[in-house]
Amino acid sequence: MPEANFIFPNDVHPPWSIMIVLYPYVTGLVAGAFVVSALYHVFRQEALKPVARLALVTSLCFCAFATIPLLLHLHHPERCFQVVITPSVTSAMAGFGFIYSMYMLLLIVEVWLVYRPEIVERAASSQGGVMGLFYRILALGDREITPGARAIDNWLIGALAMLGIPVACVLHGYVGFLFGAIKSNPWWSTSLMPVIFLASAIVSGIAALILLYQFICWRRGKRPDLDCVRSLCRYLWGFLVLAFALETLEVGQMAYESGGEWHILSVLLTEHLAVSYGLIQVLIGSVIPFLLLPIAIIRRLPGRLTTFLSALASLLVLIQVFAMRWNVVVGGQLFSKSFRGFVEFHLPVGGREGIVAAIIVLILPVVALWCAIKIFPVCEETDDSEISQLQGIQE
Amino acid sequence: MRLIRDLRHILIVLAVLVIGGAGGQFLRTAMIPESFGRQGPYRADALVTIASQKSRFPSAEKCHKCHEDVREEREETLHAGVACVHCHGLGEKHIAEAEAIAKSENAEGTVTPAEPWDGQFPSTIDLFISQDRKTCLVCHESVVGMPEDFRKIDVAAHLDEQGADDPDSPDTCFECHGNHDTAP
Amino acid sequence: MRQIDAKTGCDSDACSCDSTESDENTRRQFLRSARTVTLGAISLTVLPSTLASETTPSSNDAGEPENGKESTPLYGFLVDTSTCIGAGKCLTACRVENNVPEGQYRTWVERYIHFKDGRIQVDQVPESGYAGSDVEKVDEDLVERAYFVPKLCNHCEDAPCNQVCPTHASITSPEGVELVDPDLCIGCAYCVQACPYGVRFVNHETGNADKCTWCYHRIMREEQPACVEACPVDARVFGRLDDPESEINKRLATVPTHVLKEHLGTHPKLHYIGISKEVT
Repeated sequence: MPEANFIFPNDVHPPWSIMIVLYPYVTGLVAGAFVVSALYHVFRQEALKPVARLALVTSLCFCAFATIPLLLHLHHPERCFQVVITPSVTSAMAGFGFIYSMYMLLLIVEVWLVYRPEIVERAASSQGGVMGLFYRILALGDREITPGARAIDNWLIGALAMLGIPVACVLHGYVGFLFGAIKSNPWWSTSLMPVIFLASAIVSGIAALILLYQFICWRRGKRPDLDCVRSLCRYLWGFLVLAFALETLEVGQMAYESGGEWHILSVLLTEHLAVSYGLIQVLIGSVIPFLLLPIAIIRRLPGRLTTFLSALASLLVLIQVFAMRWNVVVGGQLFSKSFRGFVEFHLPVGGREGIVAAIIVLILPVVALWCAIKIFPVCEETDDSEISQLQGIQE
Repeated sequence: MRLIRDLRHILIVLAVLVIGGAGGQFLRTAMIPESFGRQGPYRADALVTIASQKSRFPSAEKCHKCHEDVREEREETLHAGVACVHCHGLGEKHIAEAEAIAKSENAEGTVTPAEPWDGQFPSTIDLFISQDRKTCLVCHESVVGMPEDFRKIDVAAHLDEQGADDPDSPDTCFECHGNHDTAP
Repeated sequence: MRQIDAKTGCDSDACSCDSTESDENTRRQFLRSARTVTLGAISLTVLPSTLASETTPSSNDAGEPENGKESTPLYGFLVDTSTCIGAGKCLTACRVENNVPEGQYRTWVERYIHFKDGRIQVDQVPESGYAGSDVEKVDEDLVERAYFVPKLCNHCEDAPCNQVCPTHASITSPEGVELVDPDLCIGCAYCVQACPYGVRFVNHETGNADKCTWCYHRIMREEQPACVEACPVDARVFGRLDDPESEINKRLATVPTHVLKEHLGTHPKLHYIGISKEVT
C-alpha cells in the first residue's frame, strides 16, 4: 500500500500556514506567563516575586495580539464575529471567541487590581493632559486606597489568579484539542495533544520571562535577582522534562505500535522533519537546555554566567517550542490524506501569511510590552516600601 | 458603609461587566441571521441560495425535446446513454436562443449554426459538430484501467484490421461508424 | 379523639389554629408564585436563545405538514468502478457546471494499477481524457489488473466537517446533502483539515470552503448531478436511499459494496462497487 506516490489533488497546497503556527505560539506564551504569575500569587513561591508583575503584563500584552494571526489567516476576516453569533457547540474553534474574551477580561481585571496603588497615586498626583485623564479613568475616581480596599483587592488578586489557572489551561488546551480530535490526520490525532500543548506553553512562558526579566534589568542597569532567575530555571527544567517526555511518548508509542498510517509517518519524521524535529526540536531545543539549566542553577556561579546560561537555554527553548508548533501544524499537512505521497510547503516572504507578517506578529506584543511597562512598572524596588505601607500586614 | 466604600471600585467593575455582558448577548442575538434555526442549526436561506444556482450541463433529454429525430436514432444503440455535450458542446447559447424562439410570438427563427470543433475539452465553442477522431478516442482508445468488457481499441491495429482507407485522416472513424447510430 | 394534622399541628375539629393555617396558606401561595415567576424568568431569557440555535422543526422545508404524503427524500450515490472507463467526462462537466477554479477539484478520478511484480501505481485521470494527453503509457503486459476510482464528496452521515465548523457554515440539508453556507463561512479551513477524503478545499476565488454538492441545485429540480449526466457508461449513480425501488438501492442490494475509510466511523453515503483495501 505505501509504495505508490499519489497525492489527493486538493492536498497540494496546505491550507494552514505560518499564522496557524504562530497562534498557538502566542497563546502558549500567554498561558505560560500567567502560570508563572500564578506560581507567585497562588502557590506563594516567594522567589518569583520579582517577575510576578512582569509575568502578568507580558501575558496581557501577548493576549491582546493573539487574534492577529487568526485574522490574517481567515479568508473572510470580516465575518470573524460569526464564531460568537452562530457558534457551533461541537467545534473547538468556536470556543475561541468565548474563551479568549473571558481570559482577556480576567487578565485586564487582574492587572488593574495589581497596579491599582500606582494608578491611584499617579491619578492623584498627575497635572493633567492625556496620561492624567487615563490614570483618573482607570482609578475610577479614587484618590486613595484604604487598607480595607487593598485587602479586598489582594483577596481578589489571589482568587483571580487561582481562577485564571484553569482558564489559561483551557485557553491553550483547547488548541491542543483542536488538533488532537481530528481523526482524519494520524499525525495530529491523539488524546495527549492538549496536554502536550499545555506543557509546551508553560515552558515557553517561563523561558520568555527569563529572557525578558534579565533584559529589562540590563536595560535599567540593575542586577537581576539571581534567586528568582535560578528558581525560574528550575521550573523551566521541570516543565521541559514533562513536555519532552510527553512529546516523545506520543511519537514513541506511535512508532512502537506501528499501526495504521505509521508507514507514512515514519517517512515524514525521518525525511521531511529530520531537521525541524530531530535537530531543532529534540537536540538543540530540548537536550541542550536540559543539560545547560542544571548548570545555570548552581549558586556559586558568577552572576554573569548564570545570566548567560539561563538566557541561552531560554532562547533555545523558545526556538524548540516554535519548532514543536511547526512540526505539528505544517508537519501534519506535509503528507497527503491518500497516505501515499508528500507535498511541498512554501513560506512566502510577503503577503498576509508570509515571513514579514510573521515577524510583525511576534514583534507587536513586545512593542506593546515596552509601552505597557511605562504605565505599569514591573521593577519592584522603589515600589515595595509604598506597597507595604498601603497593605499593612496583608500579603 | 465603610464596606461599600471599600467595595466601590469592585462594584463599578461588576456593573460594567454585567451591563456589557447583557449588552453583548443582546447584540449577539440581534445579529443572528433571520432564517437561522428555522429548519435546523443553520441558515435556511442558504439552501435557497445554493439551490438557485443555474444548471449549465444539459441532459440528453433536454436536447431531445427539440431534436426528436436524434432521440429515435439513438434509442436502441450503444450510445443511447452518451450525453450530446461530448460531441456537440455545452450549447448554452444555443438552448437560450431556441427557447427564446419557442416562446416568441410566431415561434419562428433560426439559431446560430454549429461551428467546427476547436479540439479542446472543454471546448470554448458553444455549439459544434465534431467528426474528429479525438472525440471518439478519448473514450475508446485503450488505456490501462479500462474494464475488460468495454469496446476499447488499439488505434493502429484497429484501423489496420478494418482496412481503413485513410487511417491518418482526422475523421477516419466515420468511414465505418455513424454519428448517432454508431454501429459500423 | 382529636385528629391532629401532622403538617400544621392543627386540630381538625376546632378552629384554634387560624393563624398557623393562614400562615401556611400564605407560605404556599408565595412558593407557588415564586416558582411561577422563576420558571417564567428562566424560560423567557434562557430557553429562546438556546433553542434558537439547535431546533429542528416539525414541518419539512417545503412547508408541508409532517403527516403529508411528500416526505423529504434521503439521497445517496453509488460508483461502479468496474464500469468506469476513465473518460474524464465527469470532470469537465463538474468544472463547467460549478465554476470550479483551476487547480481545485470537486471531483477527480484515480487509477489503481496492480503490477505483476506486486507494485501498485496510483495516478490521476487527466481532465481532458487520456487521448492526446502526455500521460506516460503503461505497458499492459506488466499489469495484473487495473481500475478507475472516481472520487467526490462522501456526504457522510456523521460528517467530521460539520462537527468542526465553528460557525454552522458546514451543514446538512434535510435531504442529507452536505453543503457550505456561502455567507457564513469564514474560510478558516478547519473542515478541510477534518475531511479524511481530501474532497474539500478553500475556493481561491470566493474564499469559502468548497466541495462537491451532489449538484444540489440540479437535484432539487429533479435533474441528475452534472457528473452523473455526463458519464457515458453509467459508472456514477445517484438516487434515493429511502426508496426501496430506486436503482441505487437495487444495486446496493445485489452486490457487495464498500465505503472509504470505514474505520473512521464517518458513515459515508457514497458507496463503491469494485474497490478493495488499497483504495484510501
